[in-house]
Amino acid sequence: MIRELNALTRRELLRIARNPQAIFTSLLLPILYLLLFGQAFNLNSIGGGAIPPSVFLALYRGAPSYFSYFSAGMAGFVSVTATLFIGANVIFDRLFGVLKRTAASPATATSIFGSRLLAGSIQPIGLAFLVLGLAVGIGHLGLAGLDVTASVTAVGAAEIFLAVVILSMMFASLFLAIGFSVEQPQTYFAVVNAINLPVLLTSAALFPWGTMPTWLQNVASYNPITLAVNVIRENLFAGAAAYYPYGPAVYLLGLFAWAMAMFVVAILLARRALAPRR
Amino acid sequence: MSEAITVQGLSKTFNGSVHAVDNISFAVNAGEAFGFLGPNGAGKTTTVSMLTGGLAPTSGQAIVDGIDVFHDPQAIKRRIGLVFQESTADSDLTGRENLELAAALFGVPRRTTKQTIDSLLERMQIGDAADRLAKTYSGGMRRRLELAVGIIHSPQVLFLDEPTLGLDPQGRAGFWRYVQELRKDHGMTVFVTTHYLDEADTICDRIAIIDHGHIVASGTPSELKDRLGGDIVTLRPLRFGPDVEAVLKALPGVVAVSTFDGTYRVKTPRGEELIPALVEACTRAGVGLAGVSLKRPSLDEVFLEFTGREYREDEGMTATDRAVRIGQVRQSFGGSRR
Repeated sequence: MIRELNALTRRELLRIARNPQAIFTSLLLPILYLLLFGQAFNLNSIGGGAIPPSVFLALYRGAPSYFSYFSAGMAGFVSVTATLFIGANVIFDRLFGVLKRTAASPATATSIFGSRLLAGSIQPIGLAFLVLGLAVGIGHLGLAGLDVTASVTAVGAAEIFLAVVILSMMFASLFLAIGFSVEQPQTYFAVVNAINLPVLLTSAALFPWGTMPTWLQNVASYNPITLAVNVIRENLFAGAAAYYPYGPAVYLLGLFAWAMAMFVVAILLARRALAPRR
Repeated sequence: MSEAITVQGLSKTFNGSVHAVDNISFAVNAGEAFGFLGPNGAGKTTTVSMLTGGLAPTSGQAIVDGIDVFHDPQAIKRRIGLVFQESTADSDLTGRENLELAAALFGVPRRTTKQTIDSLLERMQIGDAADRLAKTYSGGMRRRLELAVGIIHSPQVLFLDEPTLGLDPQGRAGFWRYVQELRKDHGMTVFVTTHYLDEADTICDRIAIIDHGHIVASGTPSELKDRLGGDIVTLRPLRFGPDVEAVLKALPGVVAVSTFDGTYRVKTPRGEELIPALVEACTRAGVGLAGVSLKRPSLDEVFLEFTGREYREDEGMTATDRAVRIGQVRQSFGGSRR
């Protein structure tokens, strides 16, 4: 099982590496968001300095600026944009016969699913940290940048890493579940588009927490992207813990529950799709 | 001789009413090349899918290489080789990477993997292109890569589902040459479905013809052709006469007469000698003829005999393509003809 998992994961990674356009596209979106959206909504200069920083800290849950708040959100959101293709690959592999060939081999459904999950999660993990690095770097170019105001400990860094890993695996599972359930690329992209925007807009990735209506805050509290970015923000911004009802461990636990639920659904659907037809 | 494949009462019904395969039984001996022939939709691929663990049957039993397919479909996948009619190699991997992946999935021992792959690449004559992406391969190279993937674990039973579909005549001849070498070297049992009756005639030890989910005839190609009772003389009348069939039947040497597609089909052991008498009999019965043709026994005629319709291989194939292909296939097997 380990050997087939290794071989199938290698195959997925080779395909990703041989498709630089897809890598470039998944990089482009977060960069554009950082350069355009993040800069345009960075309103700290509003009021000519008359508004005390504490107001912004409350609005952005401990982040010193909207850009800092937003860039942490983007590190979470890339888990969605960069895992999209892994479900689409299932559809194309089915259309081109590759999935048929794999299913006809002794490889188990768990290995076939697991290899795609592993390969699909690696790219967003790298992208998330690239986004954070870029956001810090942009600040040195005379633009608004990510201002890390806390001293990030090894535990904090591990928590951030874990949040990104679990979130990526959760969305990879979701998109694999859809990929194993639908047959046509058009259907896949229609379903994915119907999920993406609501998931983003009901999270705390984009909107300042302080301006969100209570009902939206309540919804967003359970959104997996929110759970992950809460972990990132609590660790990057000094004093942020005061704005969050729970510590990072609780959010990680909630995120883990989401990921497990999605994993179970996805693996069941993958097994059904790869079982002998009836 | 031991049986490599034993099928008993196998059926597959889709949506409760479409009987794709209906209670078929047959056996394939170890080391044999067994052809499973039939037109599109006859049930060939459905049967292969069931025998290779990809499709659950509605009823029946199948033992392949000693394993009950329907009780342990995962085990059967380890024991058999399978080449699909469509290309299933990964276009984004090289030929070698495709084989490395297959070797890992089929559990080829690590210490022999490289040697096995090198030997297969050499044998299939794709060694020079081994490190090129499969998407750059020609149709024939892709089919040979598919065959290499299908046999990487040295299976005792190889299923080929319309493996030469879409290949040019040279590609087909080459493909079958490799299959015959494998049979010769490893004693592999080959179960092949094909549209091409002439290929089946040349390659298969025994043949079963499936139509509408039923096996309508089986035997060696020679046995099947012998069952036709000899040559077929086809008389195309300007119009059908009321007593012509009876008149023709009464002629000495005529085994049977039937009508098909505006013609009288006359079975006789000695077609050439009987043609003048047949033409004269039609003239005496007041029926003019627009044409007369003589056909030697062939699997096309066998198919027509047992299914009541002509076998259409490939709508786009010209007579020249067909003649060239037949010639090349025969040439590659030493020009033998049953």
